[in-house]
Amino acid sequence: MLEPSRKSAKSHTMTSPKKGALPKNYKGPLASGLNRRAFLKTSSAISLLAGLTACKPEITHQNLNQKPEPSKNANPSFSRLFNEHQKKTLNAVQVLLFPDDGNGPDALAINALSYLEWAMTDSQNVDDGDPEFISRGIGWLDDLSEQQKGDKFIKLTQKQQNKLLTEIAATQAGENWLSLLLYYITEALMLDPVYGGNPDAIGWQWLEHQPGFPAPVTGKTYQDFN
Amino acid sequence: MSNKPASITQCDICIVGSGAGSGPIAYELAKAGYQVIVLEKGAWYAEDDFKKDEMLLRHKTFRSKLKDERHVIEEPDDDGSWSSRNTGDFWGGNIVGGASNFMSGYFHRLKPEDFRLLSEFGPIAGANITDWPISYAELEPYYARVEKIVGVSGKVVSHRHLEPRSTPDYPFPPTAEHPVSQWFDKAATESGFTPLPMARAILSQPHNHRRSCEYSGYCGSYGCSSGAKGSSRAALLDSAVKTGNCKIIAHARAYQINTDNKGNATSIDYFNTTMERHQVKAKIFSVACYSIESSRLLLSSTGPRHPEGIGNRYNQLGKNLHCCAGGTGHGVFDLTRISTEKARALKVKGPFFNRALQDWYFIDDKKAFGKKIKGGTIDFVFDPSSPTSEANSLKWDNNNQLIWGSEFKRKLKSHFTQSSDLKFEVFCDWLPTENCFVSLDKSETDKWNMPVARVKTGYHPHDLKVARYLIDKGVQLMKQMGAHQYYGNVFTTPTYNLIAGGMRFGHNPEQSVLDADCRVHGCNNLFVTDGSFMPNGGSVTPTFTIYANAFRVADRIKQQLK
Repeated sequence: MLEPSRKSAKSHTMTSPKKGALPKNYKGPLASGLNRRAFLKTSSAISLLAGLTACKPEITHQNLNQKPEPSKNANPSFSRLFNEHQKKTLNAVQVLLFPDDGNGPDALAINALSYLEWAMTDSQNVDDGDPEFISRGIGWLDDLSEQQKGDKFIKLTQKQQNKLLTEIAATQAGENWLSLLLYYITEALMLDPVYGGNPDAIGWQWLEHQPGFPAPVTGKTYQDFN
Repeated sequence: MSNKPASITQCDICIVGSGAGSGPIAYELAKAGYQVIVLEKGAWYAEDDFKKDEMLLRHKTFRSKLKDERHVIEEPDDDGSWSSRNTGDFWGGNIVGGASNFMSGYFHRLKPEDFRLLSEFGPIAGANITDWPISYAELEPYYARVEKIVGVSGKVVSHRHLEPRSTPDYPFPPTAEHPVSQWFDKAATESGFTPLPMARAILSQPHNHRRSCEYSGYCGSYGCSSGAKGSSRAALLDSAVKTGNCKIIAHARAYQINTDNKGNATSIDYFNTTMERHQVKAKIFSVACYSIESSRLLLSSTGPRHPEGIGNRYNQLGKNLHCCAGGTGHGVFDLTRISTEKARALKVKGPFFNRALQDWYFIDDKKAFGKKIKGGTIDFVFDPSSPTSEANSLKWDNNNQLIWGSEFKRKLKSHFTQSSDLKFEVFCDWLPTENCFVSLDKSETDKWNMPVARVKTGYHPHDLKVARYLIDKGVQLMKQMGAHQYYGNVFTTPTYNLIAGGMRFGHNPEQSVLDADCRVHGCNNLFVTDGSFMPNGGSVTPTFTIYANAFRVADRIKQQLK
């Protein structure tokens, strides 16, 4: 099978990023910046650079030393990654991204939030800077919400919330943030149920997907190979 | 590095790497009674470990981690400049059996003309084209041997570019066939093309300790759970180990080939998992750790007679690397616009599509190219399932805008339940040029503190023209088959899973690294048996030819050991 090399990032299509390209060797000050201005400003050069980098850093050395060891057993500490307010906000965003609209399961039915929390304990996802980027995005979303509506995101109506998502999607960093959340939603929808999403194969049934066999089992998941 | 190794082991032949280039050497030499040691950097897994789990692919479980080791890839930009990046994509598979665990096993032989590209088609400015030091006839018996021992399933159909065969047919009947393959045969015939069944290195019947294919629809990049796929591990190494003469040392990272004052190899040093240094002494050494890494190992191994790396006296080591030129195309069927019966056929998962076109393996179209040129192969396939990646890719609309909510869900539902995507892959020669080679990077090192490989991946513009020509044919076929959308794209990026060359073989040491037996010039007991030897890749996946050549070299090694 032909597998051409590509610079695909979690949040990007297989083709080139749509808002210009980050110089491949860029190592300037913005490379380490998950900065708030980038999220709020529209597509200036600054938001472009910071946004792309924020979403998929090559290797962020400060992250390498703090990776949690993936464990076969449930890791009780993972629930502390996001606080209650952050979880409520993520839940609200996920329900907008993957709503209960009569067409298949919604974010709640596929365990999208608990799946995301579990995925954020994976060392590779930590190395990619995902937990930090997702956490910071919640703060930026609340900032924008307070600026525009005078209240936290979760206090707004769904209509107002959706309008804010549309607004942040117009910035590169905001689009990256939503795109990353969608990335983990599709994992919760389509991966084997052994990983906590797709309960009772609800996602596969909806999309009429025929899984492979033998299926992964506890003790033989990807985490057992390292 | 002057400390004494923690252990020194002695054997007849020490092999670095355990993929398609190594399996035949270990198999043949162990069966002949020689003591063989195989050093493999990765871990050793068996059928029972390979679950059909997309997460294994998403986390690149069987490849090196970027933070541990990487490649620096230098690529051409649109404006003619070059840029480089670090990547972890170019590891074939760090595991016993190597990348052959994750191949699709499309097994086409090369054609006699592939062995003499220069004399058949003449030079192309800017390309280092040459004839091989051996002919197709010399390799043919070994192709036949691979078909029997590794296990190739298929059906020989006569056509004008069929290569000469010493056996009338493949030893195993074709694998179970997808119902839509018949549509292809009809459309190809109507178009004046010759539909060819594609042979696969996948067992259609049980063979030795291996089970037949179980048709889960998760082949290709997934490890095989039945043993049907002819990986080096399942087909060869398991049998080699059973002789009692072959020992596989997993997690052994070979880093230095030591040579004496005559230039010959004396021992190989490797690190184990705890970074402890060990040594293997042998009469013969053979290296096959995928083109880039094989070149890197020889470049790193300097000695009294090899100050610039073993076999690098004429600065040829790492040069003339090639990938697979070509591209991909799609025919997308809208299941709501065809009969229920046809829609049901398209939804079948498991059996293989297994069709190819080789009408343009040589192109005699003066209008397009002015003269007869080398063309390529088009393989038609249903991709192995990777539903999560597919779902994730649907979050972008046609204008590359992110979509979500009900719009996203509608798109998912219609994509997965109301459409079917048949793919074709075009394989052409990636002409070797001065701009495609391996060297040692001057600053990046891996976790063992060794310089990583720097790979320049320039392509020749001729490749794109040939690829475009074939892609248009693939699209034409899709249209004839009744696809509702059809399109194809040429790519210029390197195919990281199909790289060969870097140490091409030849009679002249000034223009090659290996002799005709794949022995390194100036190092009498060191052989390189992966795809490095190939002056050109042929317009097919190279694995079949790598296997065949390694069986051929195994015979030469046996002669040398006598």
